[in-house]
Amino acid sequence: MKKPMLLLTLLLCSANGLADDDARGIVRAAIDHWRGLSSYTEMTMVIHRPDWERTMTMRAWTQGQDQSLVRIIEPRKDRGNGTLIDDNNMWSYSPKVNRVIKVPSSMMNQSWMGSDFSNKDIAKVDDIVDEYEHTLLSTEVVDGETVYEVQSVPNEDAAVVWGKEVMLISENHIVLEHDFYDQDGELVQQLRTLEVAEMGGRVVAKRQRMNDVATPDEWTEVKVNSVDYEVQIADNMFTLSNLRNPRD
Amino acid sequence: MLRVLFMLAWRNLWRNHRRTFIMLAAIGTGVWAMIFMTALTRGMVDQMISDGIKEMPGHVQMHNPEFRDDPSVNNLIALDDAELAARFEDAEFKAWASRVRVPAIVTSERDSRGVTLLGIDPVSEREMSFVNYDDVAGRFLESSDDKGIVIGEKLAEILETEIGKRIVIMSQDPDNEIADRGLRVVGLFTASTSATEETYVFMGKKTAQKMLGIEGATTEVVFLGDDYRNVDPLYDAVVGKVDGNVEISRWYDVNTYLGTMMGVMDGFVLIWVIVIFLALSFGLVNTLVMAVFERIREIGLMLALGMKPGSILGQIVIESMLLLAIGLTIGNVLAVITILPLQNGIDISIVADGMEMMGAASMLYPALYANDMILANAVVLILGFLASLSPAWRASRYEPVEAISKV
Repeated sequence: MKKPMLLLTLLLCSANGLADDDARGIVRAAIDHWRGLSSYTEMTMVIHRPDWERTMTMRAWTQGQDQSLVRIIEPRKDRGNGTLIDDNNMWSYSPKVNRVIKVPSSMMNQSWMGSDFSNKDIAKVDDIVDEYEHTLLSTEVVDGETVYEVQSVPNEDAAVVWGKEVMLISENHIVLEHDFYDQDGELVQQLRTLEVAEMGGRVVAKRQRMNDVATPDEWTEVKVNSVDYEVQIADNMFTLSNLRNPRD
Repeated sequence: MLRVLFMLAWRNLWRNHRRTFIMLAAIGTGVWAMIFMTALTRGMVDQMISDGIKEMPGHVQMHNPEFRDDPSVNNLIALDDAELAARFEDAEFKAWASRVRVPAIVTSERDSRGVTLLGIDPVSEREMSFVNYDDVAGRFLESSDDKGIVIGEKLAEILETEIGKRIVIMSQDPDNEIADRGLRVVGLFTASTSATEETYVFMGKKTAQKMLGIEGATTEVVFLGDDYRNVDPLYDAVVGKVDGNVEISRWYDVNTYLGTMMGVMDGFVLIWVIVIFLALSFGLVNTLVMAVFERIREIGLMLALGMKPGSILGQIVIESMLLLAIGLTIGNVLAVITILPLQNGIDISIVADGMEMMGAASMLYPALYANDMILANAVVLILGFLASLSPAWRASRYEPVEAISKV
């Protein structure tokens, strides 16, 4: 008798937790889920333009909310290019010039490695939890899965240009769609999850595409090839010397 | 005797009145051109300087000694706001203000631009700012902890933003960490050049200090005196009030381009006047030589009757001076009546892009200075006198007998 009770309590709690889950919680859970406590990812980034396309393979390590390191593996000529994020600081390293450059605030809005993501998109993902007002717009059940539609409006003094952002987040914490609207309510940029798969023991967004609404034939797609969560990461991983001289 | 010479000169002047009229027209036009062009360039340079000073602003500025080489938030003024207020409270400056001036980036949904962020106290800068608070579309900042931002109309156009929308401003704090926040655009200012509208954004001083994490500290103190041409008293007063590690500079040290412009301008006016006069002098000398040549016989007669060579010389010189005097009068009057109707400005926006590269505005306000007019007149009279000496000298040196018998 005891066991079913426990089970029931657990069930109730989780149901309760879900009902209680305010919009902010949903967003936070999605970010946490995506990041994990620590992770190691191998991914491919495709930058598509009407007249050219470029594919890069890279490795990324993350730890907690604030630290991550991305390093390009392919193409060969870009091998070793890396980006280190520690807290809100960002450094980039290019083996060709053999220099670590701290990305200054003036460059935060510039494109990250020529993609449709800005440096800021890469460095400040977590801000969306605290610097926004979140409201749950709707809850829908699609293919037996609950999908939350969350609208996030930046606080008055938040360093965010968007008027609002709308996210579709599934019950297993995957951001299915992330739309960026300007202050007139016009859609400017969108991030779409094209493929969801179970990897590294979790269900994750396997393929995501970012594009400007004004230029539909220019997009950047990030495809996760493999991911490991809760991995042991060396202490020196997120250091400038490791950015410069990889020891992996 | 002088009366007689005068009368002779006057009558001689009108013996060949057609030639005299042509010469008068030439002198008149020349003098008009001297004064008119001088007024135009003066107006342009004056405006460049006053715009430039307003933009800096202030006739004297105080910075950290490193700031002008590296205008970063690290180079703060050693005296904080409270200290500055204590020192300058009862000073007899026309106005003074401390401000935060750092490079920054503004971003909207569509675009981003590098700008100069000015964190100001709108009340104390009212006098000196290049922005007329009442002309701002929307409103200007109201206090130093205003949460709004005022940007130029041109910048708003580039960012595709407007009053009431939020933009993000981003800079660096003293630890080189990113300092950023969103601010709502509350006003759009216009300036005489679009470069200015693109370059400057205004934030409340306290809001900026908070964002940058430098509460109470500033990077620039500006002082306004009474006359930008004479800033030394103000400079000395400021130097007397501060000690320690600060650099105090006059406006022409800060903007050497403008400072040089002001110095070069006086020389330019003189050269311009002399060049025009040189062209004129050929006509003048030619006319006088002709007049003397025509009158060789009568000059010979006058000499034979006992007139002194000096009087002949005087007579010709007086004739030339009379000619110049009338020409000058015509030229001056012409210049004044053409400049006065243009006092409200000449629209040269057709060539505004080119003018902007020099930092000049698209409206040109001619500035007529008494000094410039006196200079032009004096140059014409003095050089005219010298030019007429040669034909006059020749006339006075004739041998009477030879002159009379000359056919």
